[in-house]
Amino acid sequence: MKKMTAILLGLGLIIASLSACGGSAEETTAGVDTSAQETAAADTAAAAAEDGVLRVAHIKDFQTLDVHKTTNDFMVPINAFDRLFEVVKNDDGSTGLKNSLVEDYTVSEDGLTYDFTLREGLKFSDGSPLTSSDVEYTIVRALTLPETVQTDIYSSIVGAAELMDGTADTLSGFTITDDTHFTIELSAPYAGFLGQLATPGASIMSKAANEAAGDSFGQEASATIGSGPYMVESWTRNADLVLVQNPNYWGEAPDVKKVIISVVPDPSTMSMMFQKGEIDMLDADYIDSAVFDSTYRLPEYEDSIVSADRLATTYFALNENVEPLNDVRVRKAIQMAIDRQTILDTVYSGDGTLVDGIFSHGLIGFSEDNQGWLEYDPEGAKALLEEAGYGDGFTLEISSDNSSTASLLLVMQIIQQELAEIGITVNIEPYDEASWLDLRLSGEMPSYISTWTADYNDPDNFIYTFFGTSENVVSRSLNYPDQEIIDRVAAARAITDETERLAEYAALENKIIKEDAAWVPLFSRSHLFVLGDRVESFVPHWAGYSDFIFSSFKLAE
Amino acid sequence: MKYFLKRVIGTIPVLLGVVLLIFIMLRIIPGSPVLVMLGEHYDQETIERLTELMGLDQPLLVQFFDYVKGALMGDLGVSYRYQRPVADMIMDALPYTVKLAVMAALFAWVMGLVSGIIAAVNNNNFIDRLFMGVSLLGVSMPIFMTSLVLQYIFSFKLGILPMTEDGSMVSMILPAIALGWNSAGSVARMTRSSLIEVMQADYIDTAKAKGLLRGAVIMKHALRNSLLPVVTMMALQLSSMLSGAVITESVFAIPGIGRLATEAISNRDMPVLQGTVLFTTVIVIAGNLLADMLYSVLDPRIRKGE
Repeated sequence: MKKMTAILLGLGLIIASLSACGGSAEETTAGVDTSAQETAAADTAAAAAEDGVLRVAHIKDFQTLDVHKTTNDFMVPINAFDRLFEVVKNDDGSTGLKNSLVEDYTVSEDGLTYDFTLREGLKFSDGSPLTSSDVEYTIVRALTLPETVQTDIYSSIVGAAELMDGTADTLSGFTITDDTHFTIELSAPYAGFLGQLATPGASIMSKAANEAAGDSFGQEASATIGSGPYMVESWTRNADLVLVQNPNYWGEAPDVKKVIISVVPDPSTMSMMFQKGEIDMLDADYIDSAVFDSTYRLPEYEDSIVSADRLATTYFALNENVEPLNDVRVRKAIQMAIDRQTILDTVYSGDGTLVDGIFSHGLIGFSEDNQGWLEYDPEGAKALLEEAGYGDGFTLEISSDNSSTASLLLVMQIIQQELAEIGITVNIEPYDEASWLDLRLSGEMPSYISTWTADYNDPDNFIYTFFGTSENVVSRSLNYPDQEIIDRVAAARAITDETERLAEYAALENKIIKEDAAWVPLFSRSHLFVLGDRVESFVPHWAGYSDFIFSSFKLAE
Repeated sequence: MKYFLKRVIGTIPVLLGVVLLIFIMLRIIPGSPVLVMLGEHYDQETIERLTELMGLDQPLLVQFFDYVKGALMGDLGVSYRYQRPVADMIMDALPYTVKLAVMAALFAWVMGLVSGIIAAVNNNNFIDRLFMGVSLLGVSMPIFMTSLVLQYIFSFKLGILPMTEDGSMVSMILPAIALGWNSAGSVARMTRSSLIEVMQADYIDTAKAKGLLRGAVIMKHALRNSLLPVVTMMALQLSSMLSGAVITESVFAIPGIGRLATEAISNRDMPVLQGTVLFTTVIVIAGNLLADMLYSVLDPRIRKGE
């Protein structure tokens, strides 16, 4: 019996030490930020939540808060940082740029020299002034940081290439006149430049704060200093991130004073939290559209659903190196065999618009002229296949990324059925995300469905990505062969006359989509949100990334 | 003591083997971490620069020796995705996993042992069926189902327990039950069968013949002798729980080891995956060692037989 007691004692000790270790860790993670969450856990969450606090959920943790190192996680950059310009959406649905940190600017006639004037008295959240040298620091950092993924924003500036390959240590195209005046020179005119400056990746950082922070910038809350309406109060990895109002913000103070972003990896948990009032807004992108329909498309939520356009086109890419996709008649037949409206209606409850060209609604360069380029005509498609010598059909692989949503898989399955009707046997081949990306980059993926979301509001960002260089057509597994058109897409960047440039884009769009059928544009989905009782209004912004601008929320009294 | 020392030394080749295996496997599977990091927005220049920066263009052997060298000094590398030291990430996740595992294991053991004993004593009658049924329900039901059902009833409908982890111990109750219930069934089943077997031994008859009370016979003589296989199982269960409970952690939003590992797989974040695998291997080996040690304490024959 003694031994038995000893064992039990031993076990007890192990457990005690383990739970002690758990306990101490709990103390370290339980900071200021958890108090609000704990109250949220109570069943009277809505009533108990602090005034001015907005609680939202994010499906996974942020990779980094340093926007130079990420192309995905923009939640903190767009709220805790400012850019020189911002994109605004006009009442007619079109979009444009507005000055943000910039008070005023002029562009030289040749489109090469930009003179900027910053607003007076700009400050970072730590109270230090924001000046021209911070802008220069930001640009140089984006170009030279070893881990940078944002070089493309500034690569059109004179001296950017030299700075990147190490042959220069300063950016020769950037001249500081004084604290609020600076000049940027481009190596070739580029109409999309200001649009690029309005992207999250172009957030302005503080030279002094960043140099003091070193590697902890973007990693630690206190070291991540910006000038936006909010600042990062705390970041508990994989648990939550808290933003609070920036007292030194130059603009109008936001209605939401504090934001708690919880990491909730399970969509059904997220949905339950929303219904329980533990979060104040639900992003429908995380929820499978069938589940969304049955749970939220009900009379009681009718007034709570907010819908927004996004600058994004869902497309079906066909690889012209794969037989018989190299035959334009076969590609045309595929364009004609897909009933896009039915897909949009069945899978996404009709929330979106069909896209007949490359550019989506709201994008500069979008025109109604291309409406009707793609018509659903299965009989015509069959005839075209017959003419091309594939009357008996053929087999085609659609490569599918495992991490894509159930809804996207449904889209593929409907396309599979529709193509079967004209004799094409489609195999949907699943790959895990990493292998899928690898295969696409190799240029050997036979066909796939994906969505391109604008990085910045300019048609160049769409067309150049897919058809702008001979490498791009390979790395997107399109293998579009017409070098002359590829050169024209690249050359269009430098057309300074806006009317002329947009006319060229329209002509290219016509050639690529209508004549060559090199792409099958499908639709542009709306982005839906459900608002909780505590939110009075929320104005979604123009872009497709699912991060929110918290100053566009208004809380209920 | 010599016996244990031998066992500890014996684990070293196992560890090295695991590291080598996981290292090779991770490099054979297709998919570049750089591409996953960039997602839809990539260009050739950035891909090449980052590949070089992460050392992914180095020969496999060089990468392997660099890794082992670092690992020996306690440096598990830096996450490709989060650019943080892997050791830090594991230490951040560990407390959550430990909390969950210990609570789940306690639940599993108490529930398993109690139902196992009650079931064995009431061999084959209604009570036996009831207790075994409840215990085995946890084994038969997939964990995500158990988790969702518990969450739905106790958090969503009744609102008495928090829906997700919020740093408090209370918020760990549901995940601990979801995870522990799954193991409780196995403990109960083994306790029951082992106890029934022991109850038929001659020395139990002797004890009964001595005139001992039924309770004393079970607790003093039968239980003690039947616990041997159960204890092994319990130690192994604890170590497997400590290596992270992927689904439970995900449903209840617990930032533990399991989530770290699964996320690392989809991100092709090799350093993080290697780190978590190495870590769990150590935990499982330690669990085995602990089970063996308990074994020999419980049963002197094992110690003496060395």
